[in-house]
Amino acid sequence: MKGIVFVKFNEFVEELWGEEFWDTLLDEAQLSSEGIYTTVGTYDDEELFTLIGLVVEQKNISPKDAQFAFGKWVFKELLNAAPAGAHNFKDVFEFLHAVQDFIHVEVKKLNPDALLPEFEFLSETPNTLTFLYQSPRNLCYFCEGIVHGLAEHTGQTVEVSQTECQHQGDSRCVMEVVKV
Amino acid sequence: MTLSKEELEKRVSVLERKALREKKARQLAENQLEKYSLDIYEANQSLKAALAGSEQKQLELEYLAHTSSAVASEIPLREMVSNIVDLTGEFCCARYGLFVISEEGQWLTEKTPKVWISEQGWQENNAIKEFVTDLLPVSNNDLLASWRSAEIKNNELNESAPLNSIFYTNVAWSGKKIGWLAFLSQEAELNQDLEVILNTSKEHLVSGVRRRLTDIRILQRNVQLQDSISSLEKARRQLIQSEKMASLGQLAAGVAHEINNPIAFIRSNLEVLQDYLHDYKKLTSEVQTNLTEQTTLDTSQFSEMCKKIDLDYIEEDSEDLLKSNIEGLDRVKEIVDNLKGFSHAGDEALVATSLNNCIQSALKIAGNMFKYEHKVINNISAECPPVLGNSGQLQQVFVNLFVNAAHAMEKGGVLTIDYTHIKEGVVLHIQDTGCGMDKETVNQLFTPFFTTKPVGIGTGLGLSVSYAILEAHGAQVSVDSQLNLGTTFHIKFPTID
Repeated sequence: MKGIVFVKFNEFVEELWGEEFWDTLLDEAQLSSEGIYTTVGTYDDEELFTLIGLVVEQKNISPKDAQFAFGKWVFKELLNAAPAGAHNFKDVFEFLHAVQDFIHVEVKKLNPDALLPEFEFLSETPNTLTFLYQSPRNLCYFCEGIVHGLAEHTGQTVEVSQTECQHQGDSRCVMEVVKV
Repeated sequence: MTLSKEELEKRVSVLERKALREKKARQLAENQLEKYSLDIYEANQSLKAALAGSEQKQLELEYLAHTSSAVASEIPLREMVSNIVDLTGEFCCARYGLFVISEEGQWLTEKTPKVWISEQGWQENNAIKEFVTDLLPVSNNDLLASWRSAEIKNNELNESAPLNSIFYTNVAWSGKKIGWLAFLSQEAELNQDLEVILNTSKEHLVSGVRRRLTDIRILQRNVQLQDSISSLEKARRQLIQSEKMASLGQLAAGVAHEINNPIAFIRSNLEVLQDYLHDYKKLTSEVQTNLTEQTTLDTSQFSEMCKKIDLDYIEEDSEDLLKSNIEGLDRVKEIVDNLKGFSHAGDEALVATSLNNCIQSALKIAGNMFKYEHKVINNISAECPPVLGNSGQLQQVFVNLFVNAAHAMEKGGVLTIDYTHIKEGVVLHIQDTGCGMDKETVNQLFTPFFTTKPVGIGTGLGLSVSYAILEAHGAQVSVDSQLNLGTTFHIKFPTID
């Protein structure tokens, strides 16, 4: 996974619970990277899962809430790092459509080996958009949080739910975004 | 908020660890940056190499494209080879290039011993030419599969920069000749990549030369074929003419009879006229004597004299005889004119021609074939529309058909000549009531040398020549025949547009 996610997770945890807590997490996690993250590096996915697991355990929150909260928080951070064109979108649906055709294309230019989730749009009405979330990392809750972060950015209110979810025993994850 | 010493120490150690992580992270990032720089540098280098490579490839492709188009063009062979020398010399950065031809191990002398010189083009330069031809293995007469190169020493050439290698190849030329391409270069040897390209262009050249030589051969064949065609055409005309003369031969006896008849009666008439002249002379002499002796001549005496020689009859008969003679001579003249027209070879131009006139002339020539037991019904009139034709040739066809009809009706019969005016043209019907033909004979009717007539009569070419003539007129022939009932030829001529 790209280093920016780890760096931002570090910032997110420190912002919420302080540097000491992060220090404790690293101490407990015993990661091969020793928690030395840079945005230009690439790190083992498992390190993130371990860190999230420890947060969940120590703060007594559900993994879903942890992923969701990080997703919602990290959107604006990622947007700041994104190319200028990504700032022009004024609508959640418009942005979601552009993710693959525009943002992921830009990401690939800088990180040709980046493993990115794929969206397959299933249906769309003026207020409801459903799409298939496909990623070997299965971070669908993180994705839900990101969509909320996006809505905050565009100034819209949305409800995000999953009509099907692999964590619930389904064969795939289908996101439903409804503008409220 | 004050912190206890323990807390402070803990805080410091957390921050120290954080600072250490940040430091290591910075180091990692810097290393990564260096790696990126190196990667970029390497990528740049390989791009530069790729660019140079593709520029070279482009040059190679351009060279191959130019040589191919020179080979494929229609410019003369020598000019094409000169172009190839030009392009190859420039492509290989050679200093000199030339093309020479050998035959059985000997160099052929050129009218213009020119050599291609870098940046100067084609110039006369015997020194280079001799230098190069001395180096080429002309004596072993083998065709080289690829380009060869060799190191050279050339102190005698007084070149500003030394020439270090020669590269050359050869291609099969016409006959036993071999064409050689050779270049002198500063390079020590021919680069392998270059050699591959040169070999490719050599293959083009070989096939191009072969194609052009084949073209030349085809051209020569064509000329020969044209000659054959024109001699065949000449033979065809001769055949038509000789067939005409042969049919004339068959008609000769009849024609002679036709001419002889009037000549016989003219002669007999002249004999009578001679007698009459004699009588007349006698009369004038008697009148003369009488006038001399008696100085007078009365009417009764003169009447007596006239009566004695029957002058009234002589005068009346003489007029008849002279008229008959003139008529007889006119008949002979007409026959001779027709024969002349018929036997005349003439040209083959097709002009508007009256079928009526052709048929009438043909009937006059072949008419004596039809005896008293024959009847000829000619329904062709001046109203029959003209066709595009050659009257001499059409007469030949009709004479041939009439002679055949007469032969088919040995014991008498009726020859009917008629026509139908249809939308697309005129159809002539020539019908006899002769012996007719079986299907087999009809099928072979127009086959050359096929004849049902006994040896010595007919050439077997009459109808095939007639058929050829009619075909050239765009006419279609069909035949209806029934054994013992007769034969009808239908000849359809197209109308004049």
